[in-house]
Amino acid sequence: MKKRTDVVLAAVLIAASLLLGTRTDGARALSFVLDTTANRATEAQAITAQLGRAGITAQVRVWQLSALIAQVQAGQRTAYTTDWGSAYFDPYDLAVPKFVTKARGNFSFYSNPIVDRDMAVASSTPNDAQRKAAYADAQRRIYQDAPWAFGYVLRNIEAQASTVSGWVPAADNSETMYPAGVRGGDTVVVGLRNDSIAPLDPGIPPTDREAVLRNIYDALVGHTPDGKVVPQLATSWRKVGPAVYDFTLRSGVRFQNGDPLTADDVVFTFERVLTPGGISGVSSTRKDLLGPILRVQKLDPSHVRFVYSASFPEALVLQSLVHFQIVPQKYVQQAGEQGFIAKPVGAGPFRYVRGALNSEVVLERYDGYWAGPAKLRQVVFRMMPDPSSRIAALLSGEVQVIQEVPPDLVDRLRASPNVEVKTAEGTRSYEIEFNTKAAPFDDPRVRQAVNYAINWDPILRDIYHGYATRLSTAFLPNGFGYDPTLKPYPYDPAKARALLQDAGY
Amino acid sequence: MRSLRIAHRVILAVPVALGVAVLAFFSLHLLPGDPVQIMLGDTDASAATIRAVQHELHLDRPLHVQLALFFAQLARGDLGTSIVQRRPVAALIGDALPATIELTAAALVIAIVIAVPMGLAGALRPRSWFDRAVLSTSLLGASMPAFWFGLLLILFVAVDARLLPTSGQIDPTIAVPRVTGFVLIDGVLARNAAAVGSALRHLVLPALTLGVVVAAVLARTVRASMIEVLQRRYVTTARAKGLPETAVVVKHALRNALIPALTVIGLQIGELLGGNMIVETVFAWPGLGRLVVNSIFARDYLVVQAAVMLYAVTYVAANLAVDVAYTMLDPQVEAT
Repeated sequence: MKKRTDVVLAAVLIAASLLLGTRTDGARALSFVLDTTANRATEAQAITAQLGRAGITAQVRVWQLSALIAQVQAGQRTAYTTDWGSAYFDPYDLAVPKFVTKARGNFSFYSNPIVDRDMAVASSTPNDAQRKAAYADAQRRIYQDAPWAFGYVLRNIEAQASTVSGWVPAADNSETMYPAGVRGGDTVVVGLRNDSIAPLDPGIPPTDREAVLRNIYDALVGHTPDGKVVPQLATSWRKVGPAVYDFTLRSGVRFQNGDPLTADDVVFTFERVLTPGGISGVSSTRKDLLGPILRVQKLDPSHVRFVYSASFPEALVLQSLVHFQIVPQKYVQQAGEQGFIAKPVGAGPFRYVRGALNSEVVLERYDGYWAGPAKLRQVVFRMMPDPSSRIAALLSGEVQVIQEVPPDLVDRLRASPNVEVKTAEGTRSYEIEFNTKAAPFDDPRVRQAVNYAINWDPILRDIYHGYATRLSTAFLPNGFGYDPTLKPYPYDPAKARALLQDAGY
Repeated sequence: MRSLRIAHRVILAVPVALGVAVLAFFSLHLLPGDPVQIMLGDTDASAATIRAVQHELHLDRPLHVQLALFFAQLARGDLGTSIVQRRPVAALIGDALPATIELTAAALVIAIVIAVPMGLAGALRPRSWFDRAVLSTSLLGASMPAFWFGLLLILFVAVDARLLPTSGQIDPTIAVPRVTGFVLIDGVLARNAAAVGSALRHLVLPALTLGVVVAAVLARTVRASMIEVLQRRYVTTARAKGLPETAVVVKHALRNALIPALTVIGLQIGELLGGNMIVETVFAWPGLGRLVVNSIFARDYLVVQAAVMLYAVTYVAANLAVDVAYTMLDPQVEAT
């Protein structure tokens, strides 16, 4: 009996969908495939259900990330969930690669000459007020053009054992263990989210391993956990021309092998990145992070000069230098690339002892660190790609700090008296990008309609448990040039319908 | 005659390994994305830089040229250098292999220790409550996903009861000089009791996770073939001779019943190699399975190709070993 009602119900549903699908006025219904990856499948399902209420039919398709990106870059997809992290606390590393015409991260194929010009001004003018104004203009245009269904930024949720002191999660997921201490011991084990990290040579492209790198090496300048630039191996810097900066090196700094750090090491560090084939015959893909740089030269043993081919704002110079840790010239040349990777040497607070890139890396305090020795004697970074394993290890006391706690597991951790959950504002934008070069999303009204048709509040509340902040575009609240007066698209299905009708749906 | 046949089989393993490497090569290149793009993630780099690096790493050559380069290298006994980790592939595999062998061996021991007595006891009293318990437990064991069982073990044994560690191969504060690469053996060589203890404690949960699945299949095989053997006439003869029942069961029946079990073990070694990939990820075990998974995601072609070849050789070798063991257990079987 039950079976028969099921059949009847199915028939009614099919008939209803046919009726709804073929409207009498001849207008088309907007329908598309929303491509996503497993980690955002739930979110995508919720979004398509919401779109349904505005008369938009969307189907979710789940992909493996690199497969999806390859299809997206080839222009073969219509709408897709993506994310992009910023290492700069400046739109230079997020909005610029995502929205400038033909930039590497521009997966929406968005192109607006005025936005391009704004971004060019913001990337070159030394005047902060002008930069801000250019970014503000770009934000409003991007908002109007809506090449994305703008999304959100997630907080970084990390956790520690209550015995650990002095550690805070950083906005960019780096784990600075220098100020940290631990009650009743001198070793802290950090559970990283990575399954494997890239070799610990700062010249090689990063796959998310700066968490480890920044403990072994120092750069000319560093970041505080919230992204402010502070002196490290350079004590001061001076702009001597629109495209020329001089840095004064800290005196008396020694690498962990005892070699003194001089201007030669700084020049060598940047030359191996800038020279084609500079690292054992392979070029560094990191050189574009340095902006329009021409060369780095030694003025005297404690001064170096950075020369750019065009005006480059001081803020960007400093933000970029955070990511270029200084390596010891003599040691790297003697040990060779293989030797250097096998036993990295830097001028940071911890020296490398042993490890394997896909299991764990053991570091020990470097007593000769220029700012004084760290409190911890030993720091171990363990690769723990599985979030449940990380949480289990923290709860059982095997590790003392873990990265990336899934929002739905925060309550379980909070219930434990020996563990503290800590969060930091993130630097990664999550969104849906549209292929703006192909129907149906080549029409800005359709893209705006989707923005109005998504109700993000319940998604952020129920899926991300409130650890997310809406973004009005792709400018981050903790980055330069963010315009807080520009409010995200409100949820307005009626407006979405009106826009769609206007566009012929 | 037997050794000639074995040599023949060993030689045949070479084309199998090469064929598997070619298959791995093409299926990896069917996957979209290339190592340079994946390494970069969302770091900004210009198209020109990316093209230059792709060229330096030969990634822009036609596929058949890349394959030829791989074989040319292989002919010189060089497995190449990992694109992502920048170390010789042979060294990467050499570092990871001992951990996997240790885990696989421990899993097999656990499987045999659980399965043989269980299957035997079940077979001695077929259809008894105990036998039914054996059958249903083994069904459960075989149907259970390994990662899920592993997570349960972590949750109850490691987190709640704090009896054993959740992950890793050894306590990170213990340093053992690397001699053989096998942490347990190196611990014994260094006469470091703390290291051996820690390594053993770390080994239990992942080995149990892997071993239980094999034990489930094995117990059923032992039970079934034991029931069959116990009905054979030579068992009746043995009993009629007045031999004690233990001697009948152990010497006359079990030895024969273990032959099919051996085949299962041989086949399960292949399963174990696959299962390793999941279990090593869950338990953060630094073995080959994890290296392969990481390398597939990173499109680190040479590492995957070498590992897949190793898997193929292992599989062939395990089955060969089973065949050889057959002839020892049962002289009637000729090694073919």
